[in-house]
Order: sequence, then structure tokens, then C-alpha cells
Amino acid sequence: MTRNQLAVGVLVLYASCSPAYSDELLTFENDIRPIFKAYCLDCHGATDEMKGGLDLRLRRFTEKGGESGPAIVPGDADASYLVERLISGEMPPGEKKLSAAQIDTIRRWIASGAATANPEPDQLDPGIGITPAERAFWSFQPIQRPEVPTFPTDERVVTPIDALILAKLKEHDLSFSPEADKLTQIKRAYFGLTGLPPTPEQVDAFITDQSPEAYSNLIDSLLESPRYGERWARHWLDVAGYADTEGYSNADADRPWAYKFRDYVIKSLNDGKPFDQFIHEQLAGDEMVPPPHANLSAEQIEKLVATGFLRMAADGTGSGSNDDTARNQTIADTIKIVSTSLLGLSVGCAQCHDHRYDPIPQKDYYQLRAVFEPALNWKQWRTPQQRLITLYTDEDRSKAAEIEAKAQEIAAEKAQKQASYIAEALDKELQKYDAALQPKLREAYETAGDKRSEEQNALLKQYPAVNISAGTLYQYNQAAADDLKTFDERIAETRSKKPVEEFMRVLAEAAGTPPATHLFHRGDFREPKEAVTPAALTIASPPGKRVEIAPNDDSIPTTGRRLAYAKWLTSGEHPLLARVIVNRVWMHHFGRGIVGTPSDFGVLGERPTHPELLDWLASEFMASGWNLKQLHKLIMTSTVYRQSSQATGEGLLADPANTRYWRRPIKRLDAEALRDRTLAASGTLVDKLYGAPVNIKADDTGQVVIDGEESRRSIYVRVKRTQPVAMLAAFDAPVMEVNCERRPSSTAATQALMMMNSEFVLGHARKLAERVRSTSAVATPVEQVAAAWRITFCRPPREEEVIAATAFLDQQATYLKANPIPDNLDPSLHALTNLCQALLSSNEFLYVD
Amino acid sequence: MTHTNSRREFLAQNAMGVGGMALAWLLGQEKLLANPATIPQAQQTFDTRPKTPPHDPQAKAMISLFMHGGPSHMDLLDPKPELTKYSGTEFAEDVQFSFVNRASKTLFGSPWRFQQHGECGTEVSELLPHFAEIVDDACVIRSMHTGHNGHEVSIRYWQGGIPAVLGRPTLGAWLTYGLGSESQDLPAYMVLTDPGGHPVDGVNNWTNGWMPPLFQGTVLRPNEPRILNLQPPQHLKGELQRQNLAFLAQLNQAHLDRHPGENDLEARIASYELAARMQTSATEALDISGETEATLRLYGIDQPETKEYGTRCLISRRLVERGVRFVQLFLGGQPWDTHSSIKTSLPAVCKRTDQPSAALVKDLKQRGMLDSTLVHWGGEIGRLPVTENHGTAEQKGRDHNGQGFSSWLAGGGVKGGMTYGETDEFGHRATVDKVTPNDLQATLLHLFGLEHDKLSFRYNGREQLLTDGRECRLVREILSNPS
Repeated sequence: MTRNQLAVGVLVLYASCSPAYSDELLTFENDIRPIFKAYCLDCHGATDEMKGGLDLRLRRFTEKGGESGPAIVPGDADASYLVERLISGEMPPGEKKLSAAQIDTIRRWIASGAATANPEPDQLDPGIGITPAERAFWSFQPIQRPEVPTFPTDERVVTPIDALILAKLKEHDLSFSPEADKLTQIKRAYFGLTGLPPTPEQVDAFITDQSPEAYSNLIDSLLESPRYGERWARHWLDVAGYADTEGYSNADADRPWAYKFRDYVIKSLNDGKPFDQFIHEQLAGDEMVPPPHANLSAEQIEKLVATGFLRMAADGTGSGSNDDTARNQTIADTIKIVSTSLLGLSVGCAQCHDHRYDPIPQKDYYQLRAVFEPALNWKQWRTPQQRLITLYTDEDRSKAAEIEAKAQEIAAEKAQKQASYIAEALDKELQKYDAALQPKLREAYETAGDKRSEEQNALLKQYPAVNISAGTLYQYNQAAADDLKTFDERIAETRSKKPVEEFMRVLAEAAGTPPATHLFHRGDFREPKEAVTPAALTIASPPGKRVEIAPNDDSIPTTGRRLAYAKWLTSGEHPLLARVIVNRVWMHHFGRGIVGTPSDFGVLGERPTHPELLDWLASEFMASGWNLKQLHKLIMTSTVYRQSSQATGEGLLADPANTRYWRRPIKRLDAEALRDRTLAASGTLVDKLYGAPVNIKADDTGQVVIDGEESRRSIYVRVKRTQPVAMLAAFDAPVMEVNCERRPSSTAATQALMMMNSEFVLGHARKLAERVRSTSAVATPVEQVAAAWRITFCRPPREEEVIAATAFLDQQATYLKANPIPDNLDPSLHALTNLCQALLSSNEFLYVD
Repeated sequence: MTHTNSRREFLAQNAMGVGGMALAWLLGQEKLLANPATIPQAQQTFDTRPKTPPHDPQAKAMISLFMHGGPSHMDLLDPKPELTKYSGTEFAEDVQFSFVNRASKTLFGSPWRFQQHGECGTEVSELLPHFAEIVDDACVIRSMHTGHNGHEVSIRYWQGGIPAVLGRPTLGAWLTYGLGSESQDLPAYMVLTDPGGHPVDGVNNWTNGWMPPLFQGTVLRPNEPRILNLQPPQHLKGELQRQNLAFLAQLNQAHLDRHPGENDLEARIASYELAARMQTSATEALDISGETEATLRLYGIDQPETKEYGTRCLISRRLVERGVRFVQLFLGGQPWDTHSSIKTSLPAVCKRTDQPSAALVKDLKQRGMLDSTLVHWGGEIGRLPVTENHGTAEQKGRDHNGQGFSSWLAGGGVKGGMTYGETDEFGHRATVDKVTPNDLQATLLHLFGLEHDKLSFRYNGREQLLTDGRECRLVREILSNPS
């Protein structure tokens, strides 16, 4: 990678604000072609027929020019036809024009002789292709384990992470901040790994544990907590685009079984499943389970449920939009989820044309699509409902049949009994009529409705009371009706013993010949062009060794395409996957990634702040057998992680944005952690793993709130795309259009209003107050303040805080006595509730440090 | 007042004597940022502090009166004598119908008379007598075009920049992102919904899309409470909450003292201050009881038909007066979607909205606010010149038409007293100076001193634009200062 390439990336972005003048020689490959690629090559390079005969893919083609003669005159920008056309605005046609800075770059390049960085190739394949300069981009280089510098022992280098960070800090005369206090460390560890606060007892135990392994043991125990999986599943569900509804249109139909995928992620993380296996299962779990997908073992079910990852994209085809547009949209969104979560590239641009910035030809996009097409076949589409697989086994089915037979027996018994009750009632009823009339009435009654003569019908109309039916029997004989009801209860009870039928949301291939995948002209499925074979992206394949995927793997019943692709991704050779994963893990621990754009490792993304560290982590991660828990421990035991977040003068002057990690960045809790922490504080949090989502509803003001079982962790709250839960959305929980690559951290007055006035916060403040008061029957205000502090902030209050808080309680109680409130709340509880609300709304509660 | 400058900006401003952005630029110039890899390009925190646009703005605020359903342009703003002349005969052109079962090609001349008004002589239908009084301040665009007849498709085009695509930030979000808020006490982007329910597409009409929620429209509900969570429950009101917030401020200050210079923490303290101010200021802004009798009458708040919409128009003036950047009024249930009984349904919706809409322009003008406040009136589509059959003559109406229709703009740097563009002689298709939603978006951003192809937000690995790089143009001809 050269500085020139970096400069180009930045130039493109900042073209409008500052021309990046440079003493360095401008070259065609590094400075000019990227501009041409973004603006010109669609017509002058990409297609077989060049507009105006002009081909701008090489410097010499550019000089040669087209029908209008040479496009450039090296050394004389003003005499160059290309420059003339650009300045006049005639080229490129359409609204998208080069910026003045870009035209200026081209002028200066021509003026300085129109140099190339390297000799140009003698021959060029058709299309834009991938140039050596593009291939040299940092993220496409193989992952190489860098040498780790060594430091004297007093430098607090505990892990290679520290050495790699410290090396850069030293270049700027910086070093680590002091270690954070123990309270901060335990809070970071709990929130970081479980998304929940430690209890006061857990804090005490850790702080009093003086053993040198105390911290390391803490991390180990948290990694074994089921809460760990719940926390880290949330991060993965963001990139997977998890939702409990189908989206696409306002119908936003329910996805009743999506939660099994959520539970799969939680379980896999808790089990410490190797991450490569985790990816294999999500991309190709179905290909590991031989059809038919029936009578499945737990292990097989797990693999099939894993493919729910590829069923997360919005899919309106089962809810009123089963057309080609909707189908192709689901496929495109699925590819987007795969590429942004695993490759750190937005390949979507290449759907319509060669990617303007990253070296992803349009054909590559469709070859990647071909990997998925046998299971996402838009010509023979299956709706979400049609893709469900039952979890009923043959055993379940026969058990159900057995039970149904029993139910039928009871039903027959009931029918018999009912008939005799009716007959009895009829006999009794007939007694009420003339003896002569009785046989006629009986005959009319006993004749089937459609066989009755007119006379009989008239008779029954005249004496309606004779018309005894099952429904009216109770009017003649209540006891008989009650007796019959007991049969219904027995039937219902018997049937309730049937095994419940559950389903999985699975991506699997349909049997038969796999469909052909075509390149779509300008991304339009109505204009299919040549058929393409499945393959991985050229740029992520080793140079000259494109990773092709066999169209069919004869050794397994499916095509094997996704399985082969998953294996390539995790082969250790792939330049992106491991980097992308460790970068995300780092981002969740530090608030930002080593690459600040976790789903864009391309030209428009950010460059890594610590490329060696990124590579070391990636290679270590793979070497550990893709062990995520080990990676957490490595990061969390580093000095970088354990240092204080307090800013000091030197650091602020030298590196105010802390890009070099001379201190730990502070982190705001995300929406789910904030809600969960609030539930934990009020003592209402329910530790229940897995299961169908907790329902939501719109309250009478129209806010979407949790309905009913409200005290479960936020990861279990229904994700309805069109109805985000107000409290979570306000604190930046994603609204799933496709997926969420990184959450913003916003600060808005609406958040403050929510903390000040919403039923959620007020209600939990009240519960917290009751909890605090119940700590002791005769607790003094000082003891109450201490309890409240320990529960919310995980620490005892400082002396001045006790004084301030008790003064506040006094002030409120005094006010309340003088101004009683109609609803008759106990003034001391009221004051304590308000104190608790302030604690729940405070920055110390909202931030970890 | 708490200042929310971070330590970094503080240093930049005080130690170097220049602002943060300028510093970065200077450093760039000096090539001190030799390794661009370390510049964090993607901004992770966002705010709504006021920002200076790259060009001098004409408009500082905008009120959009969204007319859901598709106002019938040939009956309101676009006179078509030929249509009247050939009314009842077969239309020769191809027509795209939404409701084929009731479709006909029988031309349907407007039952209402048009007359010239004002000094400019713009022709307006008798259904809009109040708009007729403000034609000298308005620019009627008669060549609007979305190319799509459906409501949703065209609404999304208007709001988010691409036909049919959901989930993109709206114009209001872009303005808030680009310019921040002028008001210290109110959100920058506010939306007034209709008592008849949410408009088509619901909350998507004021979504921040993939921008942070900070740029989402704040909904003023049609009934009290107009802002959710704005007021505490009775038992917290007044002194108690004041004490509460004072105590909270104390807690937060102590926490900040332990983390000096953390921009985020300071911003959050400021957000509580804004929220507390909003409790007073938003309540005050929404309270129209101090308005004069004459003003209430101007907006028609004294009449049952216009009371509700008039109140919302008046509130939107009050919001803009207090520094709100973008206000949009919605209608529930698509009242302009006059498929049937147009002879009664169209006058009804005109009656409800005409006087309040015109009053807004008059009121802004008399307060000297019209020059800096852009008022937009229009729907997502218009209607067809042919008859939609519903049995009787009384029940006939018009089907959807996104090929040509009318909107109007007033104030904020738009030239008044003019019409722009034309539809064909029957009002079916825009033929002269076609204006698409993207054209209008580009023009509106320009009036705010922004450029549609420069104001970008990084998402999904790409610098995203409101107009998404789609072909569009600045409609200079309607600017009072076209240079």
C-alpha cells in the first residue's frame, strides 16, 4: 500500500473541500484512474463498444484518444481535448460531474507529463477489471502475523496487544494511563461481557479479593455466564439484521419462528462454538444435514436453524408482494447482509455496474449471487411460510394420532350419551301433548330435516318446543347438559397432551437442477445477460487464483455451493473475514473499531488506526481455533483495556481524539443495556433464557411499549420493523431496514424527556424506591441513600453525596408535607422515588465508567 | 449556560485561534496530516447545533403543507379550457389507470370556474378563494411530475428522494442534519399529524432513515398531549421536578468533574437543560390562547370546518417564529384522493384547508417572516382529466395521475406572482419545464444554502445524498435571486 492510494481515497471524499496538493508525482494508476473509474469508465472502458471510440482504461489508450482524436496532450493540459470537455461540463453527461479539484488533479497530471507508476500491460482483458494498484489495497493483502515489539517489564506490557499499541503511543511520547480502579474494572467486565451490572455482593467479593488472579477469574466466570451469550448475540443480531417481522411493506407480517435463530446465536456463543463453525452453520447448515429434513436430532436442528441467518432479510413475498421485484430485493438484501457482516464490503453497488470505488466487477457480484441462488431461486420462489420446516417427528405424529384417537373415543361416547339424553327429553316433552298428536310429532321430529313433508314442517313450527337439539338440551335437562360438558373438557384435556408443533425458519435448496444465474444489465432482472458460474470475489481471492465454487458437489445431495464458500471464508487464506470479525469485537469493547467503518474495508472506508494490531488479532483469533471467548479474555486482560478513562493534559494535547488509546474511551450504554440495567436496578429483571419474543403494543399516547411480561431482557423483546419500541429506538436501537453495521450514539432532548417523564422510568424508579426501602424495615435516610447508590452505581455514596441526597430527601418531604398531593402517596416514599429517578437518569448510570 | 464544546474544540479554538473544522482544513493544507489513515472520517457523534451552510441561505425555515391523496389540479390551479370544451367526448391518448374497473376515457371538464387574480393575473379556481388572494406571493408549479401514479411510490419520492423506496431520511431530516437547529428550546424538525390518523406510510414520513434518531421529526400529536413525555404526571409537576432536575444536574456535574472534557457527557447535561426548557417553551409555543381575535379569524379558527387545520397552521407559524427549521403538516385518510363524488368531496377538502393555508402566507408576510420562510403546498400526485365512473353523474370522480400536476411555493427566496411549467391541453402530462420531486428537493436545499450533490451522509460505505445521484436540476427560474 502506498501513500498515494490513501491520498486518492481521501481526495475522492474531500474533493469538495480541499484540493490535496501534493509534491509527489501524480500517476495514472494512483490518481487519475480512480477518478475515471468513478465518472467515465462506464462508457469508456466497461463495455465492448466504447462511446466515441474512446477507451480510458490505460494512459496510452487515453493519449491515443477516440474518434475526436487524442484525448490528452502530455505536458499541455490546456491543449487536451479531455480537459476541455470536462471543463465545459459536456462530460460526463448527466448530473454527476467531476469536482473542480478532480479536474485540477487531471490537469496537473497532464501538465506534469501524464506519468504512469508502472509500465502498462501489453494487453487488457475486456471490462474494467482489477488493476495492480487496486489489488495492492491494504485490506486485500493476506493476513500476516506481525512481529510484536518487546518492552521493558516496567512498561506494563501484559499482552501483545499492549506492545503493539504502546509502540505507536511511544512515537508520540505517550504511554498508558494508570490502571482503572477495581470498581470500574468490574463494571466494565460485567457490562462488556453480559450487558448487566454486577450486584452489590459481586462488587464486594471482587473488591475484597486481593489475589492476583481475581480479575482473570472474574473474566472467566463471566464468560461462563448465560448472560454472556445474550449480550454478544445482540451484537451479532445487529449485523445479521434480526427482526421478528417480514418488513418490505407496511403489512410487516409476523415471523413467528425467527426467535429460534436468535436463540441459536445465544446458545452458540454461550457454548463457545468455534467461530468458523458458527459461520459454516449459518451459511450452509442445511448442506450439512442430509434430506429429508425430518426426524431430526438436536444437532441437526441446530444446523438448520442456523441458516435463519440467510432468512433475516426483509421478505414481503409471503405478505402480499410475491412478485419478481420483491423476490430479487430479498436476494439482494441477503447478499448485503452476508457481505457487510462477513466481508466488510458493500458489494451492492456492483449489482448495477462495476463498483465505482472498490475493485468489484459487476460479474463478481452475480457470481457471488450464484452461490446463493440454488436456495434463493427467484424463478421458483418459496415464500417464508413455504420455507418453514416442522419440528414434528414421526414419533410426535404417531403420539398425536394416538391421542387424537383417544379424543375421538370420548367424542363417540359423548355422542351416544347425547342422543340418549335427547331421546329422554323428547319422551318427556311429548307427554305434554294429546295422545293422538304424539306419534305424529315424534315421526316429524325423527324424520331428517330435508325429508320432512310440508305437513311435518308445519307441525314442528306449530309446536317448536318439540325441536330439541344438542344446543337446547340444557333448557330441558340442565344436569344432562352439564354432564355432556364434562366430555368436552376431557376431550380438550386429552388433546392438550399432543406434542406442540413448532417450526424452523430455514434456508435450504429445493431438489432438482439448480437455476442458472444471469448477470442483470444495470441490475434489472428483466434484462438478464450472460449466465455466470459461482465464485468468490476476485479481489479477495489470491492474485491470479480466483476461488471458483463448483456448481455442484456430487458427494452431497445439495449443490454444496454455500458450504464450499463458507469453507473458503474460514480457510485462513481469506484476507477479510477474520479482520472483520476481530475488528467488530474490538469495536464493542472500545466503542470504535481499529477500522472505524466495520462494514466497509474498501476504498471509501476508513483505514485501520493500528493495522499491525488488527492483523495480529486476526491471526491469533484463527490460530486459537476461532475461539471468541479467548479473544475477549485477551483483549480484556490487556493494559489498554484496563487503563483509566480519565483524560490527562498531555494526552489531550497530543491526541485529543484518543486514536492511539492513551486512555480507555468512555462508553455510553446502548439501548438494551440501559433498559436491562434499569430492570436490574428495580429488582424486576427475570433471568429466563430463550423463547418466543415478548410482545409489544402501542399505548394510549401512541408510544410503542412492552406488553405484559415486561421484565425480560431486551434481546427477547419483539423486533417489529414498523413499530420500534420507543424507549429502545430513542437510544439508537436499530430499526431494521436491512441490517445495522454500527450504531450511532445520539444525544437528544427526547431522550431526556423520556427519562424525566415516561411511564417506564417513573415506574421503575418507584419499584427501585420500594426495593431500597425494603432493605430494612427501619432504614434511615442515610441507609436508604447508601442502598440506592449501591444498587444503581454499584458503589457506596461518597460523604458529600450522602449529604446532598439526604438534603434532597428532606427538601422533597418538606415540600410534599406543605403541598400534599391528591393521590396520597406516602411523602417519604415519594421523595425516595424521585431520588431513585434522578439516579436512573444520571450519566453515571448511562455510562459504564 | 453550559457550553458543550469538547476539550478538543476548546483547544482548537483557544490555542490556535481558529475553529475545529478550519483547523483540520489548515492541517490538511499544511500536510501535517501526513497519514490520512488516522483521520476518523466517519463521525460517531452528532448534534443539532446550528451550522452555517456553504452559501448564503434565502430560506431559514420551511413549512410544508402536504396535501395527501393528489389534489385535482385541473379543478384547482391549472385551468384547461380545451378539457372543458371537449368534456364528455372520448380522450384519444393512452391513459394509465389505477382503478381499471371504474375507468373510462370520457373527458371530464372542470365543473368549477377559473378567474385571474392579483397583479400577476394567475388563474385560480373558485374552489380556492383564499389562495386567490395570495397569488402575488406564490409560485404555482404546473408541471410537477413523479412518473408514478401510486400514492406510496410518489410520497416516498417526495420525502426520501427515490420513488417507492422506504427507509431513507426525509427532506426534514436532511435539513436538520445539514443546518442544525436555530432554537435552543425546541426540536429542529417537527411534524403535525392529523386527528384523522397518520398519513399513508405512517412514521416513514418523518423518519431519520439511516441517520441517527436525532434527525427524526418530532411528532406533535393532533390532540393533547401534543408532545409525548413533555409533561410530567401531576404528582411530579412544578417544584418537585425542578428540585429533581437540580439534583440530577448536581449528580451529573460531579460525574463530569471525574471525567473532565468529555463532550458526550456535557452534551447530555445540555440535553436535560433543553428538555426542561422545552417543557416551558414547547408548551408556550403550542398555546395559541394569546393570539389576537383577528389572527384566529384569519386562520378560520372561529369556524368549525377550518378550526382544526387552522390551529395547526397557526402552530406551525409559532414554531418557525421560535426557530424551528422544518415543519410539515400531514392529513390523515387522503382527503384529496377524490375518486368519487368529486363535486362534493373536493369542495369539502378545499373548504377545510384553503383558508388556513393562505392565512399562513398572509400571516408570515405581515410579520416580515415570509422572506425567510418557505411555504410548500402540494400533494404527491394529481388527477386524470377523464372520468372515473361510479354509477351516477353525481358520484363521478377522477383517478390518480403522477404524470402532471400542480403545487405551489411561497416565500423563502421563491419568486412570487408567477406560474411555472405546463401540462398538455387536457392536464394529463407535464409537457413544458417538467419538475420532479428531485428537482424540487435540489431547489429547496439550494434555497437553504446547501447543495444537493454535496450534502452527504455516510452510510453503507457510500456518501449518500437526498437526491441519490439521480438526474435532477436546480429550478433557477423560480428563484427570486437566480444567480
